Amino acid sequence: MLLIAFALPLLGSALVFTWGRKGPKIRRWISFLFTLATSVFVCLALIMQPDKHYLLLEFTSRMTIAFSLDGMGSVFAGLIAFLWPLAMLYAFEYMEHEGGENAFFGQYLLCYTITLLVAASENLFTLYFFFEALTLATVFLVAHGFSRASMYAARKYLYYLLGAVSLGFLSMIGVLSYSDTTTFVYGGIAALAEAPHTMMLLLFVLGFFGFGVKAAVFPLHGWLPTASVAPTPVTSLLHAVAVVNAGVFSVARLAYYIYGPQLISGTWAQTLCLSMASFTILFASAKAIHEQHLKRRLAYSTISNLSYMLFGLMLLTPFGFRAGLMHMIFHSLIKLTLFSCAGAIMIRTGRVYVQQLRGLYRQMPIVSVVFAFCAVELVGIPPFIIFQSKWALITAGFQSGHLVGVLGVGVLLISAACTAAYLLKPAVTALALPLEDAKPKKNDPGWQMLVPFFVLVTAMLLLAFANKPLIDYLTQIAQI
Amino acid sequence: MQSALLIVPPVLPLVFGVYFLFARKMRAWVAGAGLVLSFLAAVSLTLVGDAVQPLFSVALNVTFIFKSDAAGRLFAVLFSGMFLTAGFFSLGYFKHHPNPAKFFAFYFFSLFALLSLCMAGSLVTMYLCFETLTLCSFPMVLFDRSKEAVAAAIKYMLYSITGAMMGLFGVIYLTLHTGSATFIAGGSLEQAVAEGQPALFLIAFFICMIGFGTKAGIFPMHGWLPTAHPIAPSPASAVLSGVVVKAGVLCIFRVIYFAVGPAAIRGTWAQTALLVLSLLTVLIGSAQALRQKHIKRRLAYSTVSQISYILFGLFMLEDLAVQGALLHTVFHAVMKTCLFLCAGSVMVYGGTADVDEMRGIGRRMPVTMWCFAFAGVGLVGIPPLSGFLSKWVLAQGAVQSGMQVFSWLGPVILLVSALLTAGYIAPVVLSAFFPGGGKAQAETLAAKEAPAVMLWPLIALAGLTLLFGLYAVPLRNLIQSIVQTLL
Repeated sequence: MLLIAFALPLLGSALVFTWGRKGPKIRRWISFLFTLATSVFVCLALIMQPDKHYLLLEFTSRMTIAFSLDGMGSVFAGLIAFLWPLAMLYAFEYMEHEGGENAFFGQYLLCYTITLLVAASENLFTLYFFFEALTLATVFLVAHGFSRASMYAARKYLYYLLGAVSLGFLSMIGVLSYSDTTTFVYGGIAALAEAPHTMMLLLFVLGFFGFGVKAAVFPLHGWLPTASVAPTPVTSLLHAVAVVNAGVFSVARLAYYIYGPQLISGTWAQTLCLSMASFTILFASAKAIHEQHLKRRLAYSTISNLSYMLFGLMLLTPFGFRAGLMHMIFHSLIKLTLFSCAGAIMIRTGRVYVQQLRGLYRQMPIVSVVFAFCAVELVGIPPFIIFQSKWALITAGFQSGHLVGVLGVGVLLISAACTAAYLLKPAVTALALPLEDAKPKKNDPGWQMLVPFFVLVTAMLLLAFANKPLIDYLTQIAQI
Repeated sequence: MQSALLIVPPVLPLVFGVYFLFARKMRAWVAGAGLVLSFLAAVSLTLVGDAVQPLFSVALNVTFIFKSDAAGRLFAVLFSGMFLTAGFFSLGYFKHHPNPAKFFAFYFFSLFALLSLCMAGSLVTMYLCFETLTLCSFPMVLFDRSKEAVAAAIKYMLYSITGAMMGLFGVIYLTLHTGSATFIAGGSLEQAVAEGQPALFLIAFFICMIGFGTKAGIFPMHGWLPTAHPIAPSPASAVLSGVVVKAGVLCIFRVIYFAVGPAAIRGTWAQTALLVLSLLTVLIGSAQALRQKHIKRRLAYSTVSQISYILFGLFMLEDLAVQGALLHTVFHAVMKTCLFLCAGSVMVYGGTADVDEMRGIGRRMPVTMWCFAFAGVGLVGIPPLSGFLSKWVLAQGAVQSGMQVFSWLGPVILLVSALLTAGYIAPVVLSAFFPGGGKAQAETLAAKEAPAVMLWPLIALAGLTLLFGLYAVPLRNLIQSIVQTLL
């Protein structure tokens, strides 16, 4: 079942590349049907065959390409499967304005496969393999249009991601040389506990930064704001959800499933990683306030929120783990919606800077209300979802008893106030201020963009008030 | 079953708010009915008595809960009463405005948030209501959508949200370390924390106080208040200055006396620091008020100073001081609402906002200025008006507390501030009625008395100032019985 899910987008991608030129209609049908079918199969695999194991390739007994969906993998795969069709639908209307649709949809489908492969990796070797593949698959999407700015962004993207991931490679080799296996086990691989301690910590820190580059941890964050020149469906789905969450996901795999919390907890490695995450939160929030370009501002906000997750994970307690995963899910929904709003505003009215949002409500009432709603959510106003994940993060921070953990709580709250400054302020200017133009015409986007908005907002509300099954599932994964 | 009635007072204004948000036309009678009904609902809470009503819960067992107790009901009646009078005033104030429906929408939303805050039964519910209040009340500030109004509204919002986040730091810490899920008179802090007083506890408590104090304009988080209050339409400034700041007072009151418990913080550095800050704010506010020429800015600074009287009383952790603080909460709400409404009526019908240009205006607008005089003199604290009583009890409490330094420094600063208050209120009143030599300034202004719908609320409030000063026994008894359970 899982293999079918992997194969479908590949097939769809091939079909788009071959037949897509015949016309937009056939291209859209292929793209959407294949995406939807993949999501259905992923769901089926999640429900019917959890923990089924697939061995695809065996290089040596230690280095195998193998898949299975354990708890955390299921969370990531499920999230991706829910969001991809929505982003796809949104992209149809958006890409009309960008052009080059054929190449775009082909690669977009390809990325779907690779992200699923990352989610379903059963060992570190496989994860590393597809982690690199994801970079290579997305770089052309960043370069889409091949303008000067996009080429620059794509180059930067490659240098950062490929360069830093070599640290992750070192970490993986280190694990391979001390242990017979790299298969993920919750709590860490037993053999590593007996290996030289300092060496292990060093390897972990290398891995944290190597894989953390996708989670844009300081000082490896520079690629993310630059990459926001890419078409909005890329920024919204890949650079707010799939790619960046793959980074967080990999760090979680390293910390909880390879090295193990016991090994790292209470050491300088933990302090370093926690401090780095806290610093990134502050730094990115401050940069976001300073940034005037809406999409870049959102990109900085993503950087800071990714570090919320890393902060939660690096507390190395089950509570921190659960809080990190919660924030990963909730933030994905909201940031995807926010980016989609920014994209819709861009193509419909040509406004890209924050100051230009004045009076947007008169032109695009639905989009501005959705934007404001998401802004309120992201600040963390109760009882919405980000409040809940933030509550979980802060409680975990207090309970960890780690000094940096408690300081981090303060950082989270400062960052929340910053979020109000960089998101609520534009939302208020969009909603409340009058427009110079006396008789603006209504210019809300078409149904292909509005349906995803509607589904996402409904999902946010539903998750806010009826998330008990999800939280129970996460609790089970974190083994609290 | 009876406890479900707790939801009624907050929900009523919410319904009316939603109605006005989507109403195409302003209907004054709907607004009037909404205000009266909300007030009656708040009053009828006293018939229900103490009750607990869980609302809903979200992830990780975060439960939102309503709880009605005597303190909450006192605040609820006070808040809705002030909203009632200022609401009727605004019916007249906005009579010639093309579309005031949006204003009334957020006016009702603010009342909704305030009444929910009164009913909030746990720290996290209180935090929810606090944030809601910010989001509901800042649109009132940007109502005319001028550049300054928007800037002021955003300043208010950002200050308040920052404060709320600071509050959240304490709220989460305290939620983890209190025994009871709901507010309990006297607090329910864990034994170990209450006796050990770990540094983190005091830091969290202190940050929490400053955070919630933001709404009450405590130094150094007072900056938004003199910017945002004057720029709002006058009825909005009246409720912002008279009522919404009391939300901060209520939160602080709840945290100290219903979650932490006074014993756990008595004599700590946190208490000392908070007392110093509140006294500092008293002085800063009064001194700044003296320098302002714009009548509403003057009154806004006066609010900064007067609210810190209340905070000083709460931070003293002493029986009489807390009683004085609660009395002053009630009296200040009445007086400040009255003063701002008078100022609004002078600005609209007197045509000026500058205190120097108000010479002789008392002859043109006698009723308005008489009400201003009553409330103003009450604010200074001259018997037999109500402000005297609360300040007297407050000072008495400070003296009785026997705390070093503060037992004499507090009353001295209160006295100095009262003199400063006289300094910024008396000239306005005196020159309004006795313009002195030469032709009265107001002759040149086309000043005329406001219509009756705006005058009656003023008269009612001024009357209350006098009434409370002459006969406050039931109120004092009520407050005494509330405070007795706390200490």
